[in-house]
Parts: sequence; C-alpha cells; structure tokens
Amino acid sequence: MKEEAKGHLHPITSVIREMVSVFDTMGFSVAQGPELETEFHNFDALNVPPDHPARDMQDTFWIKTKPGEAKKVLRTHTSSVQVRFMESVAKDPKAFKIVVPGKVYRNEATDATHEAQFHQFEGLYVNKSVSMAELKGTLEKFFKDFLGTDTKIRFRSSYFGFVEPGVEVDIWYKNRWLEVCGAGLVHPHVIKSAGLDPKTWKGFAFGMGVDRLVLMRYGVDDVRHLYSGDLRLINQF
Amino acid sequence: MKVSHAWLQTYFKDILPTPEKLGELLNAHAFELEGLEKVGSDTMLDLKVLPDRSHYALCHKGIAREASVIAKLPLKAPIKAEIELDKAISQVAVIVKDAKLCPRYMARRVSNVFVTQSPAWLSERLTTIGARSINTVVDATNYVMFDVGQPLHAFDADKVEGDIVVRLANPGEKIVVLDGREIELKETDLLITDSVGPLAIAGVKGGKRAEVTNATKNIIIESANFNPTSVRKTSTRVNLRNDSSKRFENEITSALCADAMNQVTALILELSKGAKAGSVTDIYPNPAKQWTVNVSVSYVSSMVGMPVSLAEAKDILERQGCEVSVSGDVISVTPPLDRLDMIIPEDIGDEIARIKGYGELVGVQTPAISPAAIDKTYYCAERVKNVLIPLGFSEVLLYALVPKGAFEVAYPLASDKSALREKLSAKLSQSLVENGRNADLLGLETIRLCEIGKVFPKTGEKTSLCIGVLQVKKKKGVTSESVLKETVSALEAALGIKVSDKIEIGAFGAVIETDFEMIVKALSEKTPTQNVADLKFVPLSHDKKYVPFSHYPFITRDIALFVPATVLEGEVAAALRAAASKAAGTLLVKGPDLFDAFSKDGKTSFAFRMIFQSFEKTLSDDEVNAFMQLVYSDAKGRGWEVR
Repeated sequence: MKEEAKGHLHPITSVIREMVSVFDTMGFSVAQGPELETEFHNFDALNVPPDHPARDMQDTFWIKTKPGEAKKVLRTHTSSVQVRFMESVAKDPKAFKIVVPGKVYRNEATDATHEAQFHQFEGLYVNKSVSMAELKGTLEKFFKDFLGTDTKIRFRSSYFGFVEPGVEVDIWYKNRWLEVCGAGLVHPHVIKSAGLDPKTWKGFAFGMGVDRLVLMRYGVDDVRHLYSGDLRLINQF
Repeated sequence: MKVSHAWLQTYFKDILPTPEKLGELLNAHAFELEGLEKVGSDTMLDLKVLPDRSHYALCHKGIAREASVIAKLPLKAPIKAEIELDKAISQVAVIVKDAKLCPRYMARRVSNVFVTQSPAWLSERLTTIGARSINTVVDATNYVMFDVGQPLHAFDADKVEGDIVVRLANPGEKIVVLDGREIELKETDLLITDSVGPLAIAGVKGGKRAEVTNATKNIIIESANFNPTSVRKTSTRVNLRNDSSKRFENEITSALCADAMNQVTALILELSKGAKAGSVTDIYPNPAKQWTVNVSVSYVSSMVGMPVSLAEAKDILERQGCEVSVSGDVISVTPPLDRLDMIIPEDIGDEIARIKGYGELVGVQTPAISPAAIDKTYYCAERVKNVLIPLGFSEVLLYALVPKGAFEVAYPLASDKSALREKLSAKLSQSLVENGRNADLLGLETIRLCEIGKVFPKTGEKTSLCIGVLQVKKKKGVTSESVLKETVSALEAALGIKVSDKIEIGAFGAVIETDFEMIVKALSEKTPTQNVADLKFVPLSHDKKYVPFSHYPFITRDIALFVPATVLEGEVAAALRAAASKAAGTLLVKGPDLFDAFSKDGKTSFAFRMIFQSFEKTLSDDEVNAFMQLVYSDAKGRGWEVR
C-alpha cells in the first residue's frame, strides 16, 4: 500500500480558515477569548440579565462553584468575546473590526444536527457611526465569496439581547432560504457594560454556526462525526 | 405562539391576506413563521414570539396589531362590553401585602353561573391553537388570555373563606395544585390565600381546593399583575411553566387587567344566562404611566443606513399605536402601555427599520481602518498545523466534555459529559486506537493525529498541543515513538523553537502533550509581525462531497498471483476490480491496492488488498469467501496463477 504523504486539516478548521481569509480582505482581525466564561461576560454584559426569559434561548452548562465564588459557564456563544475585546480597548478607544472563531457549548440533547459542543464565528465592528446597511454589505460580501457570487441574503426582524435592532440572516442556497446567522447593531447596554460610551461608540455584530456551514456545503450527514476523531471523515477533506 | 387566522380576522373589517401570505409578511417583519396548519375551516399560524415582543404579542390582539401595521389594514375600533352590575353581590375583600410582587389585583364575584361544556365556536377557537376545552368558565378565562394576553383565574367562590390575601408563603406551607400534585412552598413564592391557606401560586397555578367544577355556582374572577422575576423563579423551581407563567415572566403591563376583567366577565355572562356580576375590587396603588422616547430622525437614518423621512417614521409609529409629536428633526414617541419593548432610541429605530422593511436596504462596505493585531494563539496554532499536516498528521477536534475533571458541570445531561477535560492526550490516545482498527480502510500504515485545544486543569483554562502516533504496520526500526520523535524534531526545526520531549508510550502508541502557551510565547518572539496572509491558507474545493461511511465492520482479503512478465500491474488491478465488483457490487469499498510485487523466473508476482463492507449489516467470512472464489476463477480463466 502507498503511504499517504499528507495529513488532513479538520474540515471545521478549513472552513474557519476560509472565513478568516474573506474577512481579512475587509480588514477584520482574529480575536479569541476563554471557553470557561464568567456569567458576566456570557450573559449579564450582553444584556441578558439573570432570571430573564432570554436566558431560555440557550441551554447552558453551568460549572459547579464553591459558595461565594463567581458563577461560571461554558460559553454558550462567542459573543462573550465582544465584551472582552471592547474592555481591552476601553482605556484608549478606537475603531476596530474583529472576527472570533471558537468553540461553544450548549447543554442539550444531541442528535444528527445538535451537538453539545460546536463552533461559532462571531464578527464585531465598532466605530463612531455604524449602520445596518454596512452590516448587510459586509455579510453579502462574505456569503458571495464563501458560497458563490449568485448568493442572495435577506434580513428578518429578530431578537437577541445583545443587539438592537436584531435580525436573522437567511441565505438563498440550493433553491431555499436557510437561516444561518444572527446579527444586529450592538445594544447600547453592551457597549456601556464593556466600558465604552454608547453615545460615542456604535457597532454591529453577527454570529454564525460553523458546523452548520460544513454540513451544508459538504453534505456531512451527522454533526457528531465532526468530534469523534474518526479519520474516515477527516481524511476525506 | 399559535394563532388562528379566523380569530385574527375578527379584528378587521377588511379581508385579511391568506394565511400563507400573512405568514410570509409576519415572517419578514415581525415573527418567524414556524408552522402553518389547516384545522377544520380555519388555519393555525405558529409564530415565534421572542422575549422582546412577548410583552404584547403573546395574544391575538398583539398579532392583529402587527398584521394591521404590516399589511396596512385598519383595525376595527374596539368595543367595550357594557356589564350590568348587581349591587346585591358583595365586593371581594382583597389585601395585597407586597405591591412590588403584585402591582395590581382585580377581583370580582359572579353569581349563579352554570358551568358546562363550551359552545362549539369557543371550543373550536381553542382547539385550533392547540388548547384544551374544559368548561365554560375555564375556557372563558383562557380565551381572553389568548385574545388579549392577560392570564386570568377563576375560583369557586363558595370554597373561599374570608378575605383574599396576596402574600409570600409561610415556612412549611404546602399547596395541592389543579393537577393533584402537592407542592412544598418556599418563603419566596407569592401566593393567593384565604383564611384557610393557599388558594393558588400567584400567576403559576391554581389550587385544587377552590377549583371550578361543573358543580360550581358562584365564582371569583382574578385579573392581576405579578412580578416577572418572582413568577419565573417560582414556576421554574416547581416545574410548572405554562401559558400563564410565560406571559407574566415576560412582563406585561398592569394596565391590561381592567380590559381583560371586563371582557372575561362579559363572556361568562354570555355563556351562563342568568349569571350576575358584582362590582370589581381593584388594588392598584401605582398605576402604569406612559413614557416618552425622543429620537432624531437623522439618527434613525444613520442607524439603518438608508434615508428615513420624518413623515415615514411618524406614520409607522402611529400605526403601531404610538402618540408622536415632532420638533424639528426630533420625534417624541409615546408608545402604547403594552409596548414595554420601546424604551430607548434604538428600539424606535428597530421598529421603523423592520416595518419599513430590510428588503429595500442596500448593503454598503465599512470604511477602511487600521487593522487590529491578530490573536497570537490563533496565529501560532495555524502555523503549527501548517507544519504538521504535510508530515502526515490529521487534525482531530475531540470532546472537551469528559466523565471526570477538576471543573464539573452542575447539571450534566449525560454522565460522560459531566466535567471538562484536563488534558488532550486521554481522548487522543483513544482515537489513535480507534483509527488504528480502520488503518486498512484508511490506507494507512501509521496513524498520525494532532489537536490544539483548550484544557481545564485545576489551575484553570489553557491551550494545549497534543501529537500522537500509532505505528500499525510492523516495520523494521520504525516504532510509534521513533515516528513521534522525528516529528517533534521536524516541528522544532521548522519553527526554530523547542517543543517538548515528554513522550508517553502505551498500547495506544506514543503521544506528546505540551503547554501551547509556551510555544506561542517563543514563536511570537521569533515572529513579532503576524498576519493572516503569511499563513497562506488554501481553501478546500467547494465541490468536494462527503461520502458517508459504514459503521459495520469491514473484512480485508489479500490476493497474490503470478502473471507473465508482459502483464502489467494496471491490467491485473483492472481485472481484479472488475471481477470483485461483479461478485460483490458496492460491497467492495476499497482496492484492489497493490502492496507487494517481485519478479521471478520470467514471471511477476503481484499482491493486492481488497476491503469489503456493507452499510446494512456485518458481512460474514463465508459471504466474502464466496466473492473471492469468483475473483480466483476469473484470474485462473485468464491463465494467471493464484498463489
């Protein structure tokens, strides 16, 4: 048998690399943050207060803590890095564009399309004036580069605590609309929680599931295969 | 929120768009349409009402108003039912102990009710939206809740002793609720009580003691407002989340109680001829006040990124029921009391943008700004992968949730996902073994894996690098350890830094795990300027299609034959492939792959390997032997000698 010369990147990594490359052309840099997060960064600072129904939108892995210790979670979204990055520039604020690829966790029953761990790709642009039209232009450019120049996108009114207005982004793919991304203008409460002045600083943010894009583009039939370490899948990419 | 198309129609004089068309409009501008179902002559639309719009849209009235705004159809003017009061019926005495937890409590006695099955029109309305018809009184309270969004409750008045007191539970207090469950209460639970004890858990569930049954003659109707957090905490703790608790926990305006009380009384009187209503008790110390949001139209335009005119903004907001006054560029918006989502200028911007519609919005690019630095860990991880992949390593992303670790999950769904991994090597070693079993199928003599990921030891989260090798095929002078050592040397040479020398050896092969943060530090010192372009990412082909694999075991068969020197490898392989495919069809999943060849006495010996596997079952040796017999006879027929 001929020994295979080359190994294979995980398809999640390949897709993230491609996404990073497209956003790089629009001036977005890669930022990262912890997976074991404080309740503040994952929820409170993102305008999802305790005992608020918005908390039900995500099933959370809470981590056991000792009495008196600050509550910790496995981050349920990469949006927590929004707050961390804004905090890091709060002393000397300036405009920035970042994307955050990373692993996130949801405490829910798993099946072919749901897994307790998966990957998200977050984007954040902060400047003195930011619009929904810029958000749309940015996502349009991304999806056209990523999926083909004939790709169409549409915004639908929606809600996520950390944006206002909030929208779901659908793409027209293989003759139907698919919901692939949540987005909106960063909520003033979030900007304030991170230590910036919401009167001066505005932003847009978006987040999408990477696994879903892998499944969609390559026809992988079960999301759980992505984390089983099985080379029968990985070595096909 | 399930809504009935026919029910919505009652709010309009004009004919509503068809359910499909209406669903499409609401989907684009307000609520995701999750389903559409014909129920008899009616159609149910299942709309996803998210927390920001749950203050006003978990009811037909709220959805009708959205439909009116979006489809530009006027709502009928509301008609307030006139109720003839019977002065002889005593008012309900109510004491509210905590106005923060219960901002408003309305109660009314209705006598001489006749509790029976609801008429068809009422039970059909409820059935369409998936609610159960119970009896005239309960159905009336549910109907009004689904109509205007105010949860209501009715008690059997003859089973209530003394005054109604709204208070927190006493230590050790219990209640048997309508479904028969006994619930132990906590001192943070708000109750509706009488002189005997609890009658209901406020906003969550009624008690069995004063339940309305077909024998009930007199009732007390409750239309109240309860604190969202209190209702949420209690309903979550006692695991009773329902249509009532859902509305309260999302916060509804206390102004709603009065209209709902009026409407439910009128409906009960209509359903129960001869019933008589007493006057209402209304404990309402701090009535809801209107508020005003000021926003400039130029700010709204800059938020949306398309011009919004003053007239357009005013029109949209007025159709939503807001009072709008204009001063120069600034509009002062006074929303209806139930629009608790319209608080800050951005909320007004959202209203205008979504009603105007995102369809017209033209995308533009963001201005160029000086880019932020790329995250060092990300950059270094991709650099390391760029070295390892060409050396034959495949990247795995394994589960971060494991059975045991320093950080434990509070409420794990599965016992094997109850903690965070402390290191990568445990799962990676296991993966070496699992992939080793498939080495033939994968066409590999050596399994080479790597992972860069977060680990969570006692000292806290950090990034780790793990590289593992399992030498499957025996080869002189080659071991898992030797391959791994060569790899680490190659990696160190390529990066110009020290990686690690702590190799762990076992039946799984050889693995190395090292603190990736040290590598990031060393590599960043060597490469202070880091950017994406230098990583030279090569995109995967978009046309690549994943081929599913079978989870059943596979069977490997080798065939060696002598052929005349003039016969080349390709010819033999083609003949074997044809014969094996003819015999086994799609069960031949790999091969024939040449693994040995030599010449002797003017003849050539070729050895090929073939793998058989089914998607439906475990293949037996006998089945595969039968395929091979056909392959042998084909080869013999060609004059080749099967060894």
